This record gives sequence, structure tokens and C-alpha cells, in this order.
Amino acid sequence: MLLFLFSYDAAFAQNVAVKGKIIDNTGQALIGVTVSVKGTTTGTQTDVNGAFSINAPANATLRFTYLGYATQETPVNGQTSINITLLPQTNELQQIVVIGYGTQRKLDVTGSITSVKGADVAKQASPNAVSGLQGKVAGVQITNNGTPGKSPDITIRGLGTIYGNTKPLFVVDGVWYDDISFLNPQDIESFSILKDASSTAIYGIRAANGVVLISTKRGAKGAPVINYNGYVGVQAVTNQVKMANGTEYATAVNELVALNPKSDGTPNPPIFSDPASFGTGTDWYKQILRKAFITNHEISVSGGTDKYTYNYSFGYLDQDGLVQTNNYKRYTLHLSNDFKLGKAVKLGYTASGLSSTSRDVPTTIFGQLFGAAPTLPVRKANGGYGDPNDYGTGDGNNYNPQATIDFYNQRSKNKRVTYNVYGEVSILKNLKFRSSFGGDVSQAEVRTFVPLYQATVKQFSNKTNLNVDHTDVRNWIWENTLTYDLKINNDHKLTALLGYSALENVTRQNDAQADNVPFSSKGNLQTSFPDTAKVNYLATPGRQIRSRALSQFARVNYSYKDKYLLNASIRRDGASQFYGAHTYGYFPSVGAGWVVTNEDFMKDQQVFSNLKLRGSWGKVGNSVVPINPTVQVIATDPYLTAIFGNPSVVYPGASINSIVPPSIVWEKTVSADFGIEGGLFSNKLTFEADYYNRETQDAIFAIPVAGSLGTNNSSIIGNQASIRNRGFEFLVSWKDQASKDFSYSISANLGINTNKVLNVITGNNPIYDGGAGIANGAFATRTVVGQPIGQFYGYKVTGIFQQDQPSTGVKQPGAKGGDFIYQDTNNDGIIDSRDRVALGSPLPKYNYGINTSFTYKNFDLAIDFQGVTGVSVYNANLAYRFGNENFTQDFYDHRWHGAGTSTTYPSVNIGKNSNAAPNSFYVESGAYFRVRNAQLGYTLPASLLSKWKISKIRVFANAQNPINIFGYKGFSPEIGGTVGDGGIVTGRGIDTSVYPLYAIYNFGVSVTF
Amino acid sequence: MKNSKNLFVRKALVLGLIASTISFQSCKKSFLDVNPAQNTAATQFFKTQDDATKAVNAMYANLHEWNNIAFAPIAVESMGSDDVEKGSTASDATFFNDYHNFTITAGDAQLGGFWKGQYQTINFANQILTNVPGISMDEALKARYLAEAKFIRAYEYFRLVRAFGDVPLRITLPKDASEYNLPRTPKDQVWAQIEKDLTEATTVLPQSYAAADIGHVTKGAALTLHAKVAMYLKKWSDVATYTTAVMGMGYSLYPDYEQMFRTTHKNNQESIFEIQCALIPNNPAASNSQYSQVQGVRGVTGGGWGFNVPSPELAAAYETGDPRRDATIIFRGETTPEGDKIPATGDNPMYNQKSYVPFALYVSGFNEGCQQNKIVLRYADVLLMNAEANNELGNSGAALGPLNQVRTRARGVNAGVLPNVVTTDQAALRTAIYNERRFEFAMEFERYFDVIRQGRGTAVFGARGWKAGKNEVWPIPQTEIDLSGGALTQNPGY
Repeated sequence: MLLFLFSYDAAFAQNVAVKGKIIDNTGQALIGVTVSVKGTTTGTQTDVNGAFSINAPANATLRFTYLGYATQETPVNGQTSINITLLPQTNELQQIVVIGYGTQRKLDVTGSITSVKGADVAKQASPNAVSGLQGKVAGVQITNNGTPGKSPDITIRGLGTIYGNTKPLFVVDGVWYDDISFLNPQDIESFSILKDASSTAIYGIRAANGVVLISTKRGAKGAPVINYNGYVGVQAVTNQVKMANGTEYATAVNELVALNPKSDGTPNPPIFSDPASFGTGTDWYKQILRKAFITNHEISVSGGTDKYTYNYSFGYLDQDGLVQTNNYKRYTLHLSNDFKLGKAVKLGYTASGLSSTSRDVPTTIFGQLFGAAPTLPVRKANGGYGDPNDYGTGDGNNYNPQATIDFYNQRSKNKRVTYNVYGEVSILKNLKFRSSFGGDVSQAEVRTFVPLYQATVKQFSNKTNLNVDHTDVRNWIWENTLTYDLKINNDHKLTALLGYSALENVTRQNDAQADNVPFSSKGNLQTSFPDTAKVNYLATPGRQIRSRALSQFARVNYSYKDKYLLNASIRRDGASQFYGAHTYGYFPSVGAGWVVTNEDFMKDQQVFSNLKLRGSWGKVGNSVVPINPTVQVIATDPYLTAIFGNPSVVYPGASINSIVPPSIVWEKTVSADFGIEGGLFSNKLTFEADYYNRETQDAIFAIPVAGSLGTNNSSIIGNQASIRNRGFEFLVSWKDQASKDFSYSISANLGINTNKVLNVITGNNPIYDGGAGIANGAFATRTVVGQPIGQFYGYKVTGIFQQDQPSTGVKQPGAKGGDFIYQDTNNDGIIDSRDRVALGSPLPKYNYGINTSFTYKNFDLAIDFQGVTGVSVYNANLAYRFGNENFTQDFYDHRWHGAGTSTTYPSVNIGKNSNAAPNSFYVESGAYFRVRNAQLGYTLPASLLSKWKISKIRVFANAQNPINIFGYKGFSPEIGGTVGDGGIVTGRGIDTSVYPLYAIYNFGVSVTF
Repeated sequence: MKNSKNLFVRKALVLGLIASTISFQSCKKSFLDVNPAQNTAATQFFKTQDDATKAVNAMYANLHEWNNIAFAPIAVESMGSDDVEKGSTASDATFFNDYHNFTITAGDAQLGGFWKGQYQTINFANQILTNVPGISMDEALKARYLAEAKFIRAYEYFRLVRAFGDVPLRITLPKDASEYNLPRTPKDQVWAQIEKDLTEATTVLPQSYAAADIGHVTKGAALTLHAKVAMYLKKWSDVATYTTAVMGMGYSLYPDYEQMFRTTHKNNQESIFEIQCALIPNNPAASNSQYSQVQGVRGVTGGGWGFNVPSPELAAAYETGDPRRDATIIFRGETTPEGDKIPATGDNPMYNQKSYVPFALYVSGFNEGCQQNKIVLRYADVLLMNAEANNELGNSGAALGPLNQVRTRARGVNAGVLPNVVTTDQAALRTAIYNERRFEFAMEFERYFDVIRQGRGTAVFGARGWKAGKNEVWPIPQTEIDLSGGALTQNPGY
């Protein structure tokens, strides 16, 4: 892009053809180095051998720029051969950083932006690029979701949005996305994570949760370069929770029965007459989970001429899930071309295609595995499925998980095309117009078939059923920008940007089902079955959700003598969600910087290679709110169908069963950021520290409403809160080329965030939530002024009753031996709801990562560590009991089972009565530390390869999540926002059977021809 | 030459893009004005007669929603009774035992479910009563719809006030957020509103409907419910008046007590108000009643979960030979009249036969027994209320006729059992009527609140922990108190 900032007039001088080769300090050819004639738009790139050729005026100066390397300028002086050695960027401030709608030298940046190379993410075995960012960027919290094909959760600088999407905006080659699961990490050139409001304000409408800019790979001039990358690996569960075995389970269930006599007080007979006879029983996790294979291949070809460049790639991923039969296959295609029409016009496109298929497993399977009775055989002696009803345990776990898997038949298909077409015109000297149109077209189908079967008394079907859900997405975005560059005497540098943008997002849904039809793998229900009368449309056919936005924006970047920096921007957004009085929002920002090392008085010092102070302020908006939140819609759900008549006649119903807020305005995030960054000892040691204060105002917040309103939505949204995230971020890196053969780098980052609710419309009244994962629906979280969002709330356990309590005259009348003793917080002599206290926060205070790399001769080793601390998790699995679910080994071993047996663990009545109430026993530390990724690679010597006409072969072994250290008693302390009640932010961190944590071990090779 | 061509391309591109940008800008108002969800907005609803009809349908439909017909009513309206036990297996849903033993605390989810369920139906009634008057439609039908909404609202408030005492009384839609959080209204005012709604409904509702509309509430239903309300308020002359009116409306007892509860005999001549349920092919979401399922026989295909089972006390309490015992209780090992064999080694010795649906009617993907109507008011209730009112008013002689009508039907062909009651001693007759109500309506969710209104809570339930001054009502759900920020207070003793 910088290439075209300069006038083309000079291109008509006397030209000579210059050829040359560009290598790095290790002698390796550099591919794709931009070679340009300084002050012109003439430019080219080096080919696979690092070679270039360019026509340049004999008196011109050639400029060599390459990401991560110091830019060099060399006068032609009539030479026809110029060979250059580019050195890795020692002056970090000269590096080019991708910012919104442009690029900047790192020197000019006044906000908080972190760049990550695509290669650092792609080398991990994560099929999802976001997952690969974990631990790499201070202040970015990523919570993985183990389901193949699913995206992890990502939040930047704490939880600022309570309602709706808490993810940042992803901008891929200029097109906006909520999610980048369609991208093959191998196709990504670079990430740029914009954290502060002055960097993101240019994306006003969607910038409240940060912005992640992604550039995909593009071609470079030269002969075709073919790259192959591939790996195969195996995924295995780590930190498997051990469950009670057959004998232990039978013992515990008998205790449970004894503790729960009949209504009249007479004892129930034990279910198992001889617990010892069951031995170890069935290990259901072992039965259903497996070591799962993962295979990934990608091949790409890139190259080009002076007139055009290309980069095409094809990727294939085949990932088995940890659960039997679960499989995800993904094919990706990435195409990009850039064309130059004459000297002033540039056109290009990027298109990505994705086709994925998955064989799904029911989300209930993890809950089933946790609860399944080990006394239940997988199969009976006669070959039939083991049936809990034969063993008298069929409550809460009335299933055979093997039958669940065997008769579950759901396939998901997803086809998606994302594209971007752009044109760039240099209208005048230093004035450039760019227009970009991009979009996202996708079609997803989920097809579920229930066959005729009889597995157990409760697991069977006496009819078939086919359910087909279609979701079509058609999004487009059109952006036009004018960029003007001005440079006066090298002292004043100014870049001005003016832009205009329009976008539309449309989602259509079409869900239908039919009974007593055969399985059909293709087609719509209406075309598949001649008897259309059988088809039942579950949603109005063609139901669509549409939103639009229109925006104008402007920005000025100014620097004086590279010492004093000023950036300012403003964006005006109109969003259809707020149509009416509040359609438009204005989002300004300003940033200033001082490059201390460029001052004269710093010239003589040797310590600081660079030192910069910067500060910024900005206001951004969040338009990701429920569609038309203020429009009262009519409920037409099937449950509102009335029956009248003899014989019965069906009468569809409709009415209003919700309330909506009278008006909603933009949620705004105002944030300030102060940073210092610098490099010491020739930039071997670099550091960056930021302080930020991020306040979400008019936060859209769902406040649960009284049941006496009679609404079906149990809450009402509105601009009802302000929230503050305040914190620090630190990054320290040490890089050194210790010898010709050995270089290494170590980098550590830490993000500290404190989340606090500043005010809520309910005043000092707390907002309770988080009941969905709790057996009796009791609220497990509380959001109150002065505290973090959604902190856990309940009784504090001080011990375990050793004896039954009398029915009167004590603090917990009627409590049984083995029940929790709760703290009488208010000392009123009785335990009731007023004794509940805050029990911990699900929002981590500290996120950190340590990334290391070592290169010795042809070997390279990279080990990344990552961790979270200062966070709590609510282990809801323990008490989510409706009958005879199994217990964990830990619980079984420590449980109270008679006076004196335990003072910390309750009896097997843990899920019953007052024991099930949210309390401190269930709140555990969610801190963890892990080896996130470790990779050892070996590059075959070039001497060997040249015989085979191969440029490079590297083989590697990689381990992801091989070592995890945490005290949490569940499978994984990484509880994403979409698990359990977590969809609502005020109910985060509640573990109701997450996908187990697993490690991936893989071996791969990358070859460049 | 080449250069000028480039210049032309450049200019054309720029002009084209700028022109289209401008044209976009000029139409931006309409560009941002989208109806994103393509749902009918409320401003387009409640405009036509069809809208009014749909809103009435939705109100009725909500009566068979989970919180209105399944666990929550079992907990709140049945489990305290001496006629039932929790059922299922020992460790399943043990919170029911806390209702049975009166150890329940405000945190239990069924309280909140019951609360919400009733208020959701009340909201549907209030939507009709607020919005339908403004619709231009058949005036007679409009008046009927409004009367139906008043009946349903009265029925739900009756259930609430009986369960909780003082409850928030919401009879209009909230105008703004200041009306979202109502405090409790003294129960006298709630009872008064119930009576007002029923009085107004009675004057409008028809006595019967065409075949396709059976199930809508009738004048007879309004009078019967009003009689029941008056009975709870001990307004005995009102009870007598309303029941006498119903007794002249042509209802009669269904001859076969056991068969009255089968799906094949829905809406028979004894039926006054039933919650209408059905298995709608291809539409499990609309076939959502779990009334039969949660009480169904355990461990068999087409059965159910086996909660709310008859207690041994009930089985032992029947008069010798009372055929209603066998018609009310499914015994382990028996074969039902429909030919279903009940496993001899099941988890529970007895199940509720009044909610029983033959297993063969089960279809996968549907709730077991979703086709079973729940009978709310039937003619036997009118007769026994009339008898009780007459006895309380001192007309004990007049009580014998209706009482013995009920006994006669129950007796069926077994001439030797259930002899007619002949005593006119008020106290003895009162006991006889109380007993008759117990057996006639056993497992029909009447017993628990009957005993309390009769002032016999301590006598009948005291051994299990029932305490006067506390257990007449259940605790207000803690979730609701939390949400109200203190606007709702707790009942004494909880």
C-alpha cells in the first residue's frame, strides 16, 4: 500500500534494468521482499530465490521493505546488479503495523496494537486460528471449546459487554466477521489486535470489544512457489476425571436410598443387595471416549509478474472427535489475485471457500457419561443393551450412553464463500481512492434422523423422524476510502483518511421436520417427500433477520520530526437496530505520542534504542444487540396451540408474552490508554507496558423481571448499567543471536484486569442469575454495584453436620447428618437467604503467557506457556443430580457416610434439598498453567535439497496442551461463555459438563518447491 | 496512448464509485429502516377478530404448559395431602418429600414454577382484556372472549391465593417499568377480584358450544368455580345459590366412574371444565401436556415417571367395596381394563389411575399420555358443594339428595356397597361429606386445600409436621423475593 503513496511522475526518466538477490543475515533467500523505486509507484517483489528485476531511473534510489526486517535504501547509481542483505528489524519503531483502513509505522502508533505473525499461529495444531492466539497477546483472553469445528471464546481487556456478542470484530482483508472459523490458519499472513479505543474507533459501530485485523496471504512476483504443509496427529483426553467404580457406585446408591426414606418415614430397601459383586463395572468414559486422529494437509502455489500476482491454496482437515463417531472434515480454498492496470490502478480480489461436514454427537453425551451407572453393562449377555431399568437405577441416568451414540444420527454441512474485491486508484499525487466490496455467503444444514429402534425401556423410538434445519447467510459490506499523504521537509508527515461504508447482514432460517419418513441425506423436506402434508415447518418458512448500517469516518495521522505524534479520528454510524430517535452514534478518538529517543538530548545515550510514551482516548459503540430490541413481537410458538372440540381440533394461538424496553440507545465504551514502549541494548530487550481504563456506558443489560409480570422472557434488556474494566498489560521480550548457529527469544506477557459494575438501574438491588446449571434453578450468581459482573453468590460452608438436626430450635432445622453447615452470616440464629455471600468471580484477574523460541543450526524449538489465575469456577456437575447419577472418585473417597467420616464433604445427598443450594463447596479455583504448545523442528540442509530441486523441507513434532496444571476437580477449568447458562454473561463460569480438555500430538512436514 | 487509456479507466472508475456512493447516501433513510426479524410487530396485532381468536387460543394453550400442569401443581396442590406420596424411586426429585413433610424452604424451584406458570396465563388473559375491547369485530363474540379471559384469570388467581395467600394482583398490562414490580395485595382484595371476574363472566358466557368449540369455558363453569371460591370463603348461601343454578343446567353424572377419565370419554355429560389436550401428529411442541407422563406407570414403554402416587393411607381409607378405590389406583401387578399389564416388580406399589392413558396410545417423540385432558371441574363437585353448603346452612336434609347421587353413581352395579347416607346430624353429615369429597376426588388435586379450608390441617397433616399459622400457605418463592428487591415479603414462619 505504501508503494502507491508516491507520485508516478518520476517514472518517465531514463531507466536501467536492475537485477539482484536479497538474503537475510543467515544467508537465506528472502521471498516476497518489496522492491520499489523511491518516490514512485514502480515496484516489484522478490521471487522464490530472493531474486528481483526492476526498471529504474539511473539516478533513482531503490527501497527494500519486508515485514519484520529493517527497510533499506540503496542508490542505483547506474548499477545493474544490486545484492542486498536485509537485517531483522532492529529498530522496532520502523516496523509496519496494520491499522484500520491502512498501515502505519510502529513509530507512529499512539494506541495499543499487538501484531502476531500468521506463521506463529499456523504452526500449532489448532484448526481454529483464534485458538492459536492463546497466551500470545497481553490482555486477550481466549477460552477454548473442544468440540471440533467450534470457535473458542475471545475477550479483549475484560468483559465490557453484558448482552449479546462479547467477541471482538474480525476484519479479514477488509470484510467484517463475527467469527473466523472458516479461515484456515495456514492462509493467514498476519494478525493485528487493536485493543484501545483510539485504534478501534475507526470501526466505531462494532469496536466496543476490540478489533482483530487479519490479512491473508497474497502472491509475490516470481516463478511459481509451491508449498506443502501437512501433519498427522492424535488427540487424547488429559486430566480425565476419575469416577466411582461399580462397587463404589452401588455402595453410594444404597447410602442414597437409606438417606431418603419413603414419604411416611419408613426406609426404602437398598437397590443393590451385594455392591461388591459389581467389581470395577463399566468405565463409561473409557467406553465412549477414544484417542482421536487429526490429519491436516495444505498445498499452496503463489507467484506473479509485474502485472499481476497470485496466491492459491487448498486445505484439508479431518479431525475425529474424542467421542466415538464424532468427526469433522473441512476443505478450504483460498484464492487471491492482484492486478496492476497501468501505473495508477490496482485491482484485486480474495475469495475463500469452505466446505465442511461433520458427524455430530449429542451435546448431552458428556452429562450422560458423568452420570452413567458403572453397574450398567454396555451389553447384556444376550447382546441387548444394558438397561438401567433392569438394575433399578434408572433415575437421572436412565440411559445407556452407548445406545445414545449408536442411535444418534446428525450430520451438519456448511458451505461458505467469503470474498472481497477492491480497486485502488491514484487520482492525484498523494491522493488515493480505494473501493472495496466484500461479502459472506453461507449455507448451513443440520440434518437429524431418528430411526426405529428399541435399545432400553427409555431409549427407543416407534416412529422415524427427520429434522432439517437450514440457515442461509448473505452479508455484504462496501467501503470507500480516500487517503491523502503529505510530507513537508521530512519534518511534517500527515496522512488523512476519509471513508464511507455500508453493510447489510441477512440470516434466513428454514427448519422443518417430518414423522414416519425414510432417511434422506439430501434435499429439502418439501422436495424429498411427495407427501408434503407430513412436513411440519417449525419456524415460518423464509424467516429472516436483517440488519444494516451506514457509516462515515475520517482520520488524521500527523507526526513532527518523528518525535511528536498525533492521531485523531471520528466515525458516524447509523444502525438499523436503533432505527428511530437513536439511529446515529458519533465515535471520536484522539491519541498522542512522544518518541523520546528521537530527541536530541537522547542522541548520546547508549541504553535505549528506542523509547516512546503514548496516550489515547476514544469512544466506540456496540451495535451487536438483539435485532430490533424495542419492537414488540407477537409470539406464535407451537406451545400456544389450543385444542377444542369433540373430536379434537387444533387451533393455533398467538399473543404477546414478552415485554420490550421503550427505547434503546447505543452502548458506548469510553477508554483511555497510557503506554510506554522501548528497546534496550540494540533492541535485544524490548518492553511495552500499558494502563487502560475502559468504561462501558449505557451497557445493554438484561435484568431479570418479576415472575408476576407473566412474561416468558424472564428478563428485560435496556441501557441499564455501566461497567469498568481497568488494568495493566506488560510485555517483555529478549531476543539474541548468541552465535552464528544459535539464536533465541523469550517473551512474557501479562494482563491484569479488574472488572467492576459502576452502576445498575436497579440501584443497590443486585441482579441474580445463573440458575440454569443448578439442579433446583436457584440463582448462583449476583451482579451488584461495586463488584465484578456475575460473581458467584451463595452460602458459605463451614462444615458438615455429623448428626441429624432437630426440627426446631437450631439454625438449620431438620438438616441431616452429612448435610452442609452454612455460615450464619448475619448472626440472626437462622440460616436463610440473607446469609448468602459473594463466593468468587468467574472473570479472571490475571492472564499470562510465556513464549520461547530457540534455533540451533538446523533445529528449531518453540515452547509456549500460558495460564490464568485469580478466577473461580462453579462446579455445577457435582450437585446437578436428579437420581442415581454416578459420583466422582474424589467425592466418593471423601464423602460423609456416618458420624466422623468427613468434615468437608457432604453425604451422597449432595444434590438434595439445602445441599443443592449454591454454596462455597461448589466454587473452586479456576486457575491453571499449561504448556500450551511445544514444537521441535528440523530443516534439512540446503545442500541436500538443491539436488532434488526443493527449496526447503522442514519436519516437526508438535504437542499442544501436553501439560496442564490446575486444582479444579472438573475436566477443565476453561469454561466458555456458551456452556450452561454462560450464554448470558451474568451466568458465566458455571461448569455443566464441558468438552473434556485434550492434548494433540502431531508430526508434520512442510516442503517448499 | 497507453497513458491516456489508463487515465480514462481511472476517471471512469472514480466517477462510477463516487456516483454510486452518492446515490447510496441519498436513500439512506429507507436503507436503515428495516424490519429485521420479519415478525409481526405488536402494532399489527390485536387488529382483527382473527387476532382476538388467536389470543384466546394462546391463553387456553398455556393451561397445559409444564408449570401449570405437571411438577409445580403436584408440589403445590397435591404433595401436602395424605392421599399421595412422592413416588418414582427413592432418590428422584426428593424435593417433593419436602412438600409432603412440610420442610420445604422458599428456594425450591417448584414454587417459582407454579408462580410463573399462573402469572403467564394471567398475562394472556390481561392481553385479551386490555386489547380486544378496541377491536372491531362480532360484538357477541368479543363479549364472550372477554368473559372467557375473566374466567381464566379468576381460575389462576384462585390457584395463587390458595397456595400463597397475599399475591401481587395484576389485572392490567404494565404501562412502564414502574409497574413491573408489584408488591403483594392483601388476599381479601384478590378474592374480591376473583369473584368480580366470575360474576361478570357468568352473565356473558353461553351454556354450551358447538362441537368444534367444546372446551371453551361456559356459564356452568363460571358458576361452579364461583361456588368453589365461595366455599373457600365460607359464603355458604352463595355456594348454595351457584350450585343450585348449575344443577338446573342439564349436567349429569357419567355412569361409569372409571371410564370417565379415559381419553375416549373426554368432555362427557359430567364435564364442566377440562384442560383440553391432544396428541397432534407431527407437532410434539403443541402436544406439550406432561400431566399424565409425570404420574404414569414407571418402567414400561408408554408409561411415565411415576410421581404423585396414591398413599397406603388412601388405599386403606376407602369404605369397604367402594369401586372408586380400584378406579383411582393402579396396583402393581394388575391388568387394567384396557389390557395393560402393570409389572409386578415395579418401583411403586400404586399409581394414579385417573391420569392413566393406555400404553398403546404412546407415540415416540411425544410425552407419554399427552392426549389426556385434565378435569378441573365436574358435576360431582357441584353436587358435593351443594350438599356441604346446605349442611353448613342448617338444611342438612337438603344435603342428602346430592350427596347420595354421588354415592349412587359410585356404587354402580354393586348394590351392596356405599349405602346411602341418612344422617341429618350436622356434624356427622359434615364428616360424611368430607369423606365423600376425599374419595370422589382422590388424586384430583382437591384434597390438600380441602382439608386446610375445612380447618383440619393440624388434625390430618399435623403428624407430618403441618403447623397452623404457617402451613396454610406455601412460602413465596425466594427467586421472586430476590428479583423484587424486597418489594415481596415472605410468609410467616418461612
